[in-house]
Parts: sequence; structure tokens; C-alpha cells
Amino acid sequence: MFNVIKTFLKEGIKTEDLSSYNEDNIAIYKKLPKTLKGSLNIRHIDCGSCNACEYELTALSNIFYDIERFGIRFVASPKHADALTITGPITRNMYKPLLDAMKNVPNPKVIIAIGDCAMDGGIFKGAYGIVGGLKDINIEPYILIKGCPPTPKDIINGILKGFEG
Amino acid sequence: MKHYIESLLHSDDYQFLGLFVSDKTKEQGVFILRYLFYDIKNKKLNITEIDTRKEFPHIDIPALDWYEREIHDMFGLVPKGHPNLRPLMLFPENYPKDFHPLRKDANLNIEYRGYEEYRYENFEPEGSFKILVGPIHAGIIEPGHFRFTLNGEPILKLEIRHFYKHKGIEKLAEGKPVEFGLKLSERISGDHSLAHSLAFVKAVETIYGIDIPPKAVYVRAILLELERLTCNINDFAFIFQDVGYSFGAQKVFAIKEMLMRLNEALTGNRFNRGIIKVGGILKEIDLNIVKDGIKLLKKEYLKYKKLFLNSSTILERTDTTGKVSYETAKKYAALGYVAKASGLYFDTRKIMENKLYGPLIKEFSLKSGDVTARLKVRFNDIEESFDIIEEFISNIPEGNIYKEVDCKNPQHSYSFGFEEGQRGNIIHMLEIENGLISRWKIRDPSFHNWPIIQEAVLGDIIADFPLINKSLNLSYSGNDL
Repeated sequence: MFNVIKTFLKEGIKTEDLSSYNEDNIAIYKKLPKTLKGSLNIRHIDCGSCNACEYELTALSNIFYDIERFGIRFVASPKHADALTITGPITRNMYKPLLDAMKNVPNPKVIIAIGDCAMDGGIFKGAYGIVGGLKDINIEPYILIKGCPPTPKDIINGILKGFEG
Repeated sequence: MKHYIESLLHSDDYQFLGLFVSDKTKEQGVFILRYLFYDIKNKKLNITEIDTRKEFPHIDIPALDWYEREIHDMFGLVPKGHPNLRPLMLFPENYPKDFHPLRKDANLNIEYRGYEEYRYENFEPEGSFKILVGPIHAGIIEPGHFRFTLNGEPILKLEIRHFYKHKGIEKLAEGKPVEFGLKLSERISGDHSLAHSLAFVKAVETIYGIDIPPKAVYVRAILLELERLTCNINDFAFIFQDVGYSFGAQKVFAIKEMLMRLNEALTGNRFNRGIIKVGGILKEIDLNIVKDGIKLLKKEYLKYKKLFLNSSTILERTDTTGKVSYETAKKYAALGYVAKASGLYFDTRKIMENKLYGPLIKEFSLKSGDVTARLKVRFNDIEESFDIIEEFISNIPEGNIYKEVDCKNPQHSYSFGFEEGQRGNIIHMLEIENGLISRWKIRDPSFHNWPIIQEAVLGDIIADFPLINKSLNLSYSGNDL
């Protein structure tokens, strides 16, 4: 235990300032409700991505980015969530599970699209196995964060900017 | 023919690598099935071909079960006598029964509506109950469905249902140029962007008979080791997390983040996307950054390896959990660290490209086949990667990184591209017609290793499942395609 505490003291705090990011990668369609500021619970749904977006989403909780300091948390059930993050083109096989999960999110259902595929299918456009992006199934996200995959900095800043409108 | 293939599957001298099908009904009036083995003794590929119009022999070994069901879905060919011919990739809820997308004459415009119900295996011993998990899981992971049957605490049976992420990548690439294929290959399994794109590029280079400059070979190998390192360190961190030791997890996640930043500094992309091209690599990269960075990270990594191996409370969780026996690994033709932890050794770099790596890779395998063994194999992989990177940077040859290539005259009708990803051997089979991709079959090691989880969890308690799942850490996306 002593060693652990010594490491903490020696290395200091690694959490970074995230103010530099690429503004072009963030598109905001609707303003996030003010009431969720400082306490936004997210349920993540992978609808068919290549898993690079998931790789970056897990990186959000590491000590460099530490997303929880902004009051943003990933939760285990859509019933506990205020927002859904959606990655990947929506496959035929994931379409129904996605709708089921959306049904279980209390209103207002905040949808955050992450990555180039989520909106229109991206590189997978035209494949027989996908229904399309969010555009094709008539779901309008609040925020879209572009990139293939988007960087952790862009994702966090995108969500925070959503509150400013 | 059937008996010959069966004997190869059971032989210890042959590693089963895959079953690849092409639709040649237009040219030759038949479908060609290619069983691919590697002859470990004589160090060469063994390809056995079967031509068929409708049926092909069913071989009763778990390694072929998913392949045969996949071919039934994709081509409508029937493995004669298969006892369990349920749809695999094309869910009966969403696709009509007579839809076989990889046939050349397939009509891809199908209506989206409910067709039939999926039939799960009927297994209900007295007093047992079921726990259903997924497709959407609690963490930030990919979708897949797990059905546990339990009686009290121990797991009696696990049935997995995957392919929720089936997009139809192989069909999408048909009729498209090689450049599109390269871009798509980086998006087969995101964490293995580089390994998949290398396997694809190698297939293209074999078809056109291109030799790439030695410097490009070395740079590719260094980038590949960096990717392997990132994935292995990531798995290590997740094992820390799943045994409930978050201090270790966060520290190791920090190493992973630094590795990804190293990638970004090198190539401009955190996943090293867009750096590989047919004939070499796209741009010069400054390898001095790697040299300094790697030394620092190695020191950091060794600290947490020691912490892990010295903690009895952690080893209590991982020892004897998720056991995969040698026999199980063999009958499923396991690849990568799953095989190495159970006494089966196959490493593409060691066995197929020994000239480049030589003694840098040791034939390291363990017998116990549990979570600890799989982690120890990863430790060995990590240390080898550090050594290979250091060695290759100091010995890198001078010269071009790219060779002008002329992609006009294919020298073979088809080719294979092999690469050792972190999860194991990756294969891309490619056919090119008039400069366009006419058939592309992708085989991620996850396709061999996923069914093994059904046996690995037996007898363990359900609370150990996340740990076992993470120790196998397989790709859903590379598996589902």
C-alpha cells in the first residue's frame, strides 16, 4: 500500500486540460437540456461499428481524459440513462435491439452519434447487411461527432459543447 | 477426399487455417471449396480443393461447424448430413431463407421485415435455469448474445449467438477497386486496423508478384509490433479491471494511451490507419521517437507485471479459471494466445516468416490453459514486441520505402495474404478480375476462437465470465464481418 501511495505522490496528476480540439468535427443539431449539465448518464450502443470507436470510448475513462470530472458517466442499463451514444452503421440484425433500447430510455431521449458511420453508414454505405445510418431510420441526433474514429478530445468537447448550443 | 481432410484435421503436424469458397459458376459451372492447412513439418501450405454444384461432405469436427453453416448461409451449398444447419450469419428474423448474398447472381434488394424465428438449442435439465445476456452489454463493448444454463452456481452450458454486427463487407468490396478494399480492410476490426490491412496488401502483392523494398518490410513489422503491443497492454489492463484492481488497471490503461499517442506522433493516426499502401508504405516516419518512448514504457510495464504476479488475491481469481484443454484447442483449431496457452503453437511470424524474425521469437507455449496462462503468453508477447522493435530500429536497412507498382497483369487466379495479428493468424483470400476485386474472403482468428468460450466457461461461476471473456478478448466485428 505504501508503494501505491508513493507512486501517486511521485507521478502527480496526469489528467489533462482538453481545451484544444478540432471544432470542425463537431456538429450540434439540438441543444442538450440544461438540467442534465453536470450529471449526464450515458448508455452506449454499438450498432455495427468496426470497434475503433469503442476503443476510443473506453479511453475516455482513463486518467488522461477522465470524463467523470465533467459529471458524465457510462451506465449499464438504458433505464438509468439520459443519453444514448450510437456508433457504427445500423445493421439489420442490430436494428431491433436498438429500437428496444431506445424505448427504455426516459424522455427526453438524447441521442449522440459518434463516428462517420453513425449518420449515413459511412464506408459501409450500400452493403446488404445494413439498414443505413440514423438519417435513414429518421432519428435526429442532438450531437454528431465526426471522425473515423473521433479522438477522445473531440468526443468530450462535443458533448460539453452540446450544453452551450 | 473427405477422409483425407479428416486425417489432416486430426494430425498434429497440420494446422487448419480455414475453408474458403469461390463462386465459379459462370466460368466453370461449379463452386470451389478450398481447405487450407499449414504443413508444419515441411513448412508449406496445403490446399485441398473440392468442386461442387450443390452439396459437399460434412466433416464432424467443431472447427468446421461454423464454416459449414456460413457456407450454407452465404452460398446456399449444403454440407451433407450436418445435424445442426441453423442460420449463422443471416438471422432468420431479418433475412429470407433463400437469400445467399455471396452467389454472383444474388439479388441484394431484400425487404426488411420479420421472416422466421431463430431456434435455440434445446437444453433444459431438471432444476436448471437460464440467464440471458445481450446483445447489448453493460460495458462499452460490442453486441453479442450469450445464453447460460445453470444449476446452482456452476455453468452447465453456454450457447453463444453472434453476428449481430454482420454488415456484408465481403460482398460490398466485390466489383470495387483495390484502393477501396484497402480502406475497408482497415475497418474490419478497428483495434487490428494495421494487421488486417497488411494481410490484404500482402494478398494483393502476391497476386501481382510484387516484392517490396526491405526498408518497407522493416517499417511494416515495427508498426505491426506497436499494434500488438497496444492490444496486449489493453488486455492486461482489462484483466486488472475485471479482477477488481482498479489502481493497476488505470496505470496500465495509461501505458496504452501513451502507445496510442506514440502511433499518432509517428503516422498521424492513433490506429495507424492510412499508412500502408500496395508496394510499401506511404511516407517516411521518424523512428527515433519510438526508440525513446519504448524504453520508458517497458520500464513502466515491468512494474505492473511484477505487481500482478506477486499478488495472491489476483492470482486466486485467475488461476484455474476458464480452462481450455489441449484437446479442446486442437478440435476447434484454436489460434493465437488461446492456442499457445493450451500447448498448441502456431505463430505466422515464427513459422511462415522465420527469415525476418529468426531467434527474436521463441516458441513459447504453456499447458494449463487458464486465464493466468493466457496472460502469461501475453506477457511473453509484450516482451518479444519490445525486443523486436528495438532490434529492428537499430538494424533498419537504407533505401526506398515504396516501389512503383504496375497493377495490370495478375500472375495468379487467387492468392492468400497472411499476417499474425495480436489475436492470431489473419488470412485474406483475394481474387481480382480486370483490376477489380471479384472475391474477398476475410478470416479473423476470432472466427476460430469464439466457439471455444462455450467450453472454457463450463464449471466456472457466472461471476467469472467477464474475466474469461476478457482473457480471450475476441473481436465481434472481425468475426461478424
